[in-house]
Parts: sequence; structure tokens; C-alpha cells
Amino acid sequence: MAKEMIAMLLAGGQGSRLYALTQKLAKPAVPFGGKYRIIDFPLSNCVNSGIDTVGILTQYQPLVLNEYIGNGQPWDLDRLYGGVHVLPPYQQASGSDWYKGTANAIYQNISFIERYNPQYVIILSGDQICKQDYSDFLRFHKEKGAEFSVAVMEVPWDEASRFGLMVADENDKITEFQEKPKNPKSNLASMGIYIFNWDILKKYLIEDEADPNSENDFGNNIIPNLLRDGRQMYAYHFSGYWKDVGTISSLWEANMEVLDPEHSGINLFDDNWKIYSRNSGMTGHRIGADAVVENSMITDGCRIAGSVKHSILFAGVQVEPGAVVEDAVVMGGTTIKAGAVVKHCIVAENVVIGENAVVGAMPADGEKGVATVGPGVYIGDNAKIGPNAMVNNNVKGGDEQW
Amino acid sequence: MVNSNADALGIIFPNSYDTLVPELVSERLMASIPFAGRYRMVDFILSSMVNHGIGNISIIVRKNYHSLMDHLGSGREWDLTRKNGGLNIVPPFAEKSVKVYNGRVEALASVLAFLRSQKEKYVVMADANIAVNFDFKAMIDAHVESGADITVAYAEQEIPAGMINENASIQNMYYTLTLDGEHVKKIYINPVSEGKQNLSMNIYVMSRELLIEQINTAYVRGYVYFERDILAPQLEKLDVHAFKFDGYFARICDMRSYFEENMKLLNEENLDGLFADSPIYTKIRDDNPTRYIEGAKVKNIMAADGCVIEGEVENSILFRGVKVAKGAKVKNCVLMQDTVVEAGANVEYVISDKNVTITEGKELKGSDTFPVFVAKRQKV
Repeated sequence: MAKEMIAMLLAGGQGSRLYALTQKLAKPAVPFGGKYRIIDFPLSNCVNSGIDTVGILTQYQPLVLNEYIGNGQPWDLDRLYGGVHVLPPYQQASGSDWYKGTANAIYQNISFIERYNPQYVIILSGDQICKQDYSDFLRFHKEKGAEFSVAVMEVPWDEASRFGLMVADENDKITEFQEKPKNPKSNLASMGIYIFNWDILKKYLIEDEADPNSENDFGNNIIPNLLRDGRQMYAYHFSGYWKDVGTISSLWEANMEVLDPEHSGINLFDDNWKIYSRNSGMTGHRIGADAVVENSMITDGCRIAGSVKHSILFAGVQVEPGAVVEDAVVMGGTTIKAGAVVKHCIVAENVVIGENAVVGAMPADGEKGVATVGPGVYIGDNAKIGPNAMVNNNVKGGDEQW
Repeated sequence: MVNSNADALGIIFPNSYDTLVPELVSERLMASIPFAGRYRMVDFILSSMVNHGIGNISIIVRKNYHSLMDHLGSGREWDLTRKNGGLNIVPPFAEKSVKVYNGRVEALASVLAFLRSQKEKYVVMADANIAVNFDFKAMIDAHVESGADITVAYAEQEIPAGMINENASIQNMYYTLTLDGEHVKKIYINPVSEGKQNLSMNIYVMSRELLIEQINTAYVRGYVYFERDILAPQLEKLDVHAFKFDGYFARICDMRSYFEENMKLLNEENLDGLFADSPIYTKIRDDNPTRYIEGAKVKNIMAADGCVIEGEVENSILFRGVKVAKGAKVKNCVLMQDTVVEAGANVEYVISDKNVTITEGKELKGSDTFPVFVAKRQKV
């Protein structure tokens, strides 16, 4: 039986602006919000929207991501027909190639899509935090009689020139596309989420592949070609929470916004739109008799004896007596030893922060630095990590790093 | 067989000791009683079996088992969705001539054909009233090495008050052992002895062949209870060994012990004793992490995911999805899944079952020896 719509999730991005966090990890596998990874959002959106077939295109450091996805069961995507499939580049009779661009990644998997003979294909991005009902997007696509639709967000005019912009008429029909223009004609930023009629997508992928000068990219090549040919292209307005967590500061910010769902609009506590994840399986968290916990999110396996304020702690984090954690994102399995002070920073998985060490600092006026400690790093006793530091290697006791 | 496999199949009796905690089992059975924040009693023995290479587990249910079926599902969370073996829930076979079983002998007689068709050399049997991270591998190894016919696990402890009380009917028999070295010389049924005893944990290892043989004979003679009718009378004939367990465990014998055993987990030594050795699996609910809102005050608690805490909580165990509103005070309580304590309410020494609501401004207090119990879905 043919599927009405299947999803192709672009998860090959290196996320190089997340530096220490993505040395050994694809960006979609970066932990987020206490017990999730970024990719949980598009995957949960898919299953909550009724999409049961998802191809995940991986390329960069896929090990953790592959293991995390597994058979897709945590997202209810272990299906007899369809379900989740991880699609790395593979060798074909005609040779093999890395994914050259976003469009080429889909091109190389045309035969995967054909197995399901879908009417529509939705292209998703694996590096955004967003709760979105794709079935509503599809309804729009069908109502407009579109061949291509793109989800767009209104952004402030003064920031518009940072985005790929869609210029649309009063009927939402796209008339022009501007990639990061100096003089924006629109403030509708593309979210990088597209619905194509499969026959159209296939035609343009094949055509694009035949063009030796193409960068094989949706934004730079496919969309301009569709415009050139006067295809039925529409912009779907999305007004919910959407964040590209491509930088350390935006990742930190998005985590902090989770703590304030009433104002930020990112509500992880919605029973009607659950975000699924692979569970740690640890036992409930403990908060000691002398601990202080305020305005924070804490999950299974944590042991808190110190003070935790306005922070997000992932599974199995230990905060020893006298330690202070404030405005921090602390990922799974990290230990913060007695007397250490951890502020305004991101600490990755399985880090040890020694006794009385200091990591990060509350920003002074005008500063924005978010100190970052990479996974598995050991910070010695009494060491000091400055507010703009990016720590990838162990730091000896008493040393300073800025 | 590869080393990781214990060459044993597991059998769990989920209804044993149900009647000791009538309040908790009104809509469930012993095995599905919520315990330790995010688990059900059965999770402990089931995970212990799985973690020690037992991948073919039968649960012989007696009654009130809907909640257990719902909890276990296909057994996936315990890695028991298998082509060979896996989880096997055996409900009573509804037929005119067959009634719900009373003792282990009748229960096992109902699965004799199944037992005959299995391949494992050994059988381990356990109840679900003890939460324990049990090393079945060690016990099976000890059993094999000793050459015993049957090995029974015991712990040195005083007999819990809850087991001795007048409710101790024939369904709630407990057993103490007199030992000669590791050899069991005598089994006492429902003794009232003071001081530490060798109290049986009702965990057994024996060969499948011997179990089939014994059950076959016993059932034909109309015997009902494994310990009373098979073990105790045959101590001369059968070589019964004892396996001492000296790790941490929580035995549920009445409401008070249920409360105390939960509370004991606030001590991290106890918590590690129960959870550090190997993982305990349970049904996943996909709750978000627990949220402590500005103004929340928490001291000495254990909480599962999905809670939202705005008020004050002290010395308490919070199961998944508990909500404590602004100005509410919770002290010395065990609050099960999705309990809501509304604004300004004040609860102390309370056990609330699932989906209980304590409405705005209400005050509800028990005492340390007699916690107030609020039944499932009640609104106070």
C-alpha cells in the first residue's frame, strides 16, 4: 500500500558551531531539555502527526545517533511496513559518494522513497527545536493545490537579512526567494521544512543532479529552479516556538526557555503532544536534606546535595554538598564535586568538575559568554574556567582556562 | 548455551501475600503495587531474572491482574519480547471444573504441559512481595555446585509484625528454616519466634525435571502448598539447601511496612542497595523531567519524572506526575502517580494511591505508625 506522506530527516550536519559538543556527535544527537536529544523533536512531531515512515539521512559522526535511534521503538516508529530507517551514504554499482548537499542526500535515496510510493514527501531538518503538527502543514499544501510548500516564520525585519526569505502574495503564493539578502523584501524566513509532491521532487532532483554546476542544495538550487519554472509554490505560516540551536548561546538559551514555558512558548509538558525519547532507565532523583533546588528541571538518576538554581540537569547528574549550580545546562552522568561553582554554562556528558573548581560566571554588562565543557572532560580541583572558555581537554587542578 | 544464559526458566507468583495489603490490592495485585517512585513490585524480581540470564519467564496470575497485564504489555521494557522464551503471562484457565488456584502446587499443575515442553535445565521461582536486586546467577551457581535437589533463599531477619498478625491466613504462610550448615533441617510454618530468624524469601531453584515430578505427584494427591505439602514433609528425602541473601531488600507485609520501606529509600545507602547492582526496568511513561518552580522548597525527597513542584515537600516519595501546588505542604508522604495536592493543602503521613486529589486548603494527617491511606481516584 502506498503511503500518503513520508518524511526525510536531514541529520548529517556537523554542527561545527557547537564546537566541543559536536566533536564526536552529530548535531541532531546533542542532548536537550533534560532528557531529550534534538532529533526527538522532529521524530515525535512525525509520529504525533501520523507520519509512520521516516528516513534519517546521516553522514557526520553517526555512531551515537545510530544507537540512539535503534529500531525506533521509543518513538513508536518500529513498524512492519515503514518505521524509521537510518540512511547513510552507500555504495552503488555506479560508485559511491558522500552526500554532496541536502538535495543530493535525498537524490541518493530516491529508491528508498519509491519503496513507499508516497504522494508527498516532507523534508525535515534534524537541528531545530520545534513542536509542529505536520498534518496541518499537509492540509494547507493540499488546499492550495501546491506542488511545493515551505514552512515560514515571521522574523523581526532587522534580523530578516540573516535568513532565507520567501516573498509571497496575499494568497501565500511564493513569488520570490531571497537567500540572506541585504535588502529584504519580506520577513518570512524559511524554516527549512518543505512538503513536495513526490513526482515534482523526483523530477527536480534528477535534473539538479545532472547539472554539474549545482551545489545540490534545496535553498540554493532546487527552490530557485522551481521558481524559474513557475511551479505552484506556497508559504505555510507557522507561529509556534521554533529555534535553530546551531550555536552554543542559542542552545543554552533554548534550554533556559524550557524552564519558562509560560513566556517562551516551548512547552515540554503537553500531554497532547508528547516529546518521546530513549529513556535512561535510572531510578527517581534524590534531593538531600540540605539541598536547595529552585526553578529547575531535574530528571531520573540525579543526586542533589548542593544548590541548584535556574538550571537543567540531565539523567544521573550528581551535585555534591556545597556545590553551586546556577543558570547551567548540565548533561547526563556529570559529577559536580563539593564546593564547585558552575554558572551560566553548558557542561556536556560524563564530565567531572573537581572540588572548589569554578566553571563560567554570571555575565557582566554586555557580555554574553557561555562557558562550555566538552564530554568526558576532567576539571581538576580548584581549576578555573572562564566565562568564554571552550574546554575540550582535561584541565589540571588549580589551572585556569579562559 | 552461551555463558550469559542461565539455562533456567523463571516463574513468578504475582498474587502471593495479596491479602496482607487489602487497601493496595483492591484494584490490583501484589506484583503491580507501585513502589519506590517509578516501579511496580514485580519489576524488581523480573529485572533481576533478566539481568542474570533468565529470558523465559512465566507469570502465573490468579486474580485482579488487569493492572499487571497493562504494566507488562509484551514485556519489551524488560527485554522479554522474544521468539524463544520471553514473557509468558498465564491467566487462570476458565473452565467449569477448574477453579482459581490457591497454592503454588495448583498453580504449577496448570502449567505442567508448558513446563514439560521447555528446554531449560533449571527452574527459579519467586513471589513479588519482595523488592530486591537479586543475583539469580549466584544462587543458581550455588545450587549446581552443592548438588542439592532444591535451593531456597533466605534472609536473617526478625519476623515482620505484619506477617504475624491475625490476618495471617493460610494464604499468607511464612516459613523459617533451621539449618545445619547450608542444609535445611526443618521448615517451620507461621512460627511466632522472637529475634532474628532464617526467614525464607520464597525464592527457589530446582531442576525442571524434579519440579515436574514433584508437582505431578502432589497434585494427584490433592496437595495445595509447595512448602507445606512438598518441602517440609520431604526434608529427609530431598536434599534442600539454603542460600543466604545478605543484600538490601524491601518486604511488603502490611500498610505500615509499605510506608516504611518506601521511606527507607530516602537513605542513599538503601537506595544504592536496591538499585546500584544492576538496572531495574519498568514501563516507560515518557514524562518530561520534574520541574521545580520558583518558590518551591524541597528537602530530603525522592521524586520521579513528570512532577511539578510549586509548594513545600519534605521527607517524601513522589511517584511520576505528582503535582504540588503553591502554598501546599507535603511532609512524610508517599504520593503515587498523578496525585495532585492543590494550593494551600497540608498533608502529613499520607499514602495516596494513583490519581488522588487533595483539594484546596484541605488538611490531612496520619501518624508515623499509622499513615492515612487515600484510595485510587479519591478526592479529599
